[in-house]
Amino acid sequence: MRYALRRAGQAAIVLIAAYTVTFLLLQLMPGDAILIRYDNPELGLTAEQIQQIRINYGVDTPWWQQYLTTLAGYLRGEFGYSTQYGTGVLDLIGEALPSTIALAGIGFVVAAILAVVIAFLSTLSPFGWLRRGLQAIPGVFVSIPVFWLGILLIQVFSFGLGWVPIVGADPVVGLILPVLTLAVPISAPLAQILIRSIDEVRLQPFVTVIRAKGASESRVLWTSVARNAILPTLTIAGVLFGELVGGAVVTETVFGRTGIGRVTEQAVANQDIPVLQGVVVLAAFTFIVVNLAVDLLYPVLDPRLRSGSRRTASGPATVGEAPTPVEASA
Amino acid sequence: MSRPAVRAVAALAAIATAATLASCASSNAPSGSGEPAGDPVTGGTLTYLEHQTYTNLYPPQAGFYPNGGIVNNITARLTWQNPETLEIEPWIATEWTVNEDATEYTFELRDDATFSDGTPIDAAAVAKNFDTYGLGNPDLGLTVSEAINNYESSEVVDDDTVTFRFSAPAPGFLQATSTINSGLLSPDTLDLSLEEFGAGNATEIVGSGPFVITDEKLGTELTFEAREDYDWAPPSFEHQGRAYLDAIHLIVAPEDSVRIGSLLAGQADYIRYVQAFDEARVESAGFELHAPQTRGVNNSIGLRFTNPLLSDVRVRQALVAGVDAQEVVDTIFTANYPKATSALSSTALGYKDESSFYEYDPEKAEELLDEAGWEPGSDGIREKDGERLSLTVYEAKPQPLSKQTLELIAQQLKRIGVELNVKSADAGTYAEDIQDPLKTPLYHSMVGRADLDVIKSQYHTQNRDTLLSDDAELDRLLEVVASEPDPAKRVEASQEVQDYLAEQAYVIPLFEEPQVYGTAPYVHGVEYESVGRPLFYDVWLDK
Repeated sequence: MRYALRRAGQAAIVLIAAYTVTFLLLQLMPGDAILIRYDNPELGLTAEQIQQIRINYGVDTPWWQQYLTTLAGYLRGEFGYSTQYGTGVLDLIGEALPSTIALAGIGFVVAAILAVVIAFLSTLSPFGWLRRGLQAIPGVFVSIPVFWLGILLIQVFSFGLGWVPIVGADPVVGLILPVLTLAVPISAPLAQILIRSIDEVRLQPFVTVIRAKGASESRVLWTSVARNAILPTLTIAGVLFGELVGGAVVTETVFGRTGIGRVTEQAVANQDIPVLQGVVVLAAFTFIVVNLAVDLLYPVLDPRLRSGSRRTASGPATVGEAPTPVEASA
Repeated sequence: MSRPAVRAVAALAAIATAATLASCASSNAPSGSGEPAGDPVTGGTLTYLEHQTYTNLYPPQAGFYPNGGIVNNITARLTWQNPETLEIEPWIATEWTVNEDATEYTFELRDDATFSDGTPIDAAAVAKNFDTYGLGNPDLGLTVSEAINNYESSEVVDDDTVTFRFSAPAPGFLQATSTINSGLLSPDTLDLSLEEFGAGNATEIVGSGPFVITDEKLGTELTFEAREDYDWAPPSFEHQGRAYLDAIHLIVAPEDSVRIGSLLAGQADYIRYVQAFDEARVESAGFELHAPQTRGVNNSIGLRFTNPLLSDVRVRQALVAGVDAQEVVDTIFTANYPKATSALSSTALGYKDESSFYEYDPEKAEELLDEAGWEPGSDGIREKDGERLSLTVYEAKPQPLSKQTLELIAQQLKRIGVELNVKSADAGTYAEDIQDPLKTPLYHSMVGRADLDVIKSQYHTQNRDTLLSDDAELDRLLEVVASEPDPAKRVEASQEVQDYLAEQAYVIPLFEEPQVYGTAPYVHGVEYESVGRPLFYDVWLDK
């Protein structure tokens, strides 16, 4: 209980800090959303009219006053309106979120599958050349720019081969290429970590013992090595969430999909502060939840981390040195 | 026939037609729709790819092309400006009278037109529209329309007659009633705040045009459906009654290659914003390009003479003579972007050929700079009293290929010893710095509107003021354009402004800017309003 309270307290601090830092950084930028929107020559407004609008929006009040007003709004559950569109921030985000959750969620699952496949094949494969080839893949994947991959996939599979339409596709078909675009760069670091920890775990004495008892190579890998190697990967997976958000921005723009990434891209371009604040708070919140979930998963996967046996392990990074490997308790 | 063979044949056919197309590409006649393809067919859904997300559907803010393309199709206007002749023709108004000094306009309305919620388009509704557009509604955040000057009040004479009064002559008002900025909305819709006109609320906007918005996916998609009961197209149209299309599916695809690829792969029927470098690809694949002109102030660079470096007319004349607009057009653009010969487009009202002022002459440019006391320094850039002739210009994101254009111009100016720094900035820095002649001595812009007032919009200190001018004489000349009731004298006044801009070397006109669209071969009836926004009313599909 005390643990839960402490985590909740930490979460609140992180949220307020994220909110404050975004607010200050955005205030430091030259210009503001009202200037961008209304001083736009396409409207042809006179200086007096623009001044009136500035007063109406309250953009010329001192920054700390704006900060307190908006913060109080957040605490009351009022998230304000987009300066660029006039749409409610909650509406904008609410409408975009399901699509991004689908994209990011499926993208992450595909990335994880891809990473596992690469990692296991690169250890299990009987051919040296294949192992080396597979081990080089993450390095290649990690250096592929998302927008380039997206455009390439569209050109080849949609425009060239005509397998999947980009425009007017039904929701499921429409997800195929964006998910691949997002999954490839995310899978790379996952696979890299997985390959490295598999290699490390395989050199551990307990693995030699199991092997000496006559277990086959694949049995050793699946039952003993994998469970130990998954822990560092899980840590990275939590951190990769940020990458997922960044990837979504590019993917959604290239594919013209609704989503948080697209909303963010537009808001950044127009210094739409209320929307950016909302997105940052949402992202910080999700980050906290994801990392909390990861922390709660450790003890499930590793009995040494369950309360009571805490003294034996100081964290997943020391798995190899632990006296009792996971296999022993399984 | 195998696929490659089909392609080869198609390519040959394309080359054959490309030759004919190229010869008429620079003319403004709607090049679209190729050969007559039989009688129009009613039905079908058009997939239209837009380059940017719309921001707001309040008509006075429809100058932004993504907004305008939507407003143009969901609203009718009092009058219709024939895009070929630029004459004002009846639409919702059947006839009108203007008093001698253009301070009072009376319109007779047709009695059968309705808004899409069923309420009639009567004099009271029209009066409310123009009261809002002419005076704004600060409580709701609704701004005044740029197209309407000196608006004072309206009077509902009877159900079908409305009178508007102006505090000073407003000769541009008749044309203003035809622009998308004056799109007629239902009285209830005009009670919405500016926020409620924003993205996410499109289906709530009740207009008077041939289409209504029935569905919106925020930021990415809009669905339009034809109004079955629409029967008030401008009488000059051959086509009356409902639109041919059943529906339009507008999808936002910001990525150039995705728009072009979707069109060529048959996934989209009609796309906006074909970049100059993609035009050949679209045409050679047998697709149609449409390049309606924007008919206003040309794509040009304003020389802000309030910056001390540009205060000497000889320096400005040198910059004008040192820029080779023809090279810009030939290198970066296509035949759809004719070289400019005045501040105004040759397709604009009141245009006067000023090409003698805008000839490329680097030797004259160097002489002028020598005369003005600017001597080449050690790095080739001219100096005077220890100061370098170094100027800054920002990439203007709304202008096509602005960065490439400005960089080419920087190379040209370097040859005459002038340094031009081309900067790119985020929207905030840009919006702030372009207001300062010291930070932005050169400013890249254009404005499209098919009325004589357009030149005042661009240069008057109370409007866009793109020169950040302090020249009272320029303001005075511009005010004559916007207030002279006699049409012939207004044209003269506009020409005087063009003379003055050329003599003072206040602008470097580059090219006459089109809006370039691509359509599939089976799309017919492609039309645009007078400044190049698509009109889907006549579009039909033959597939």
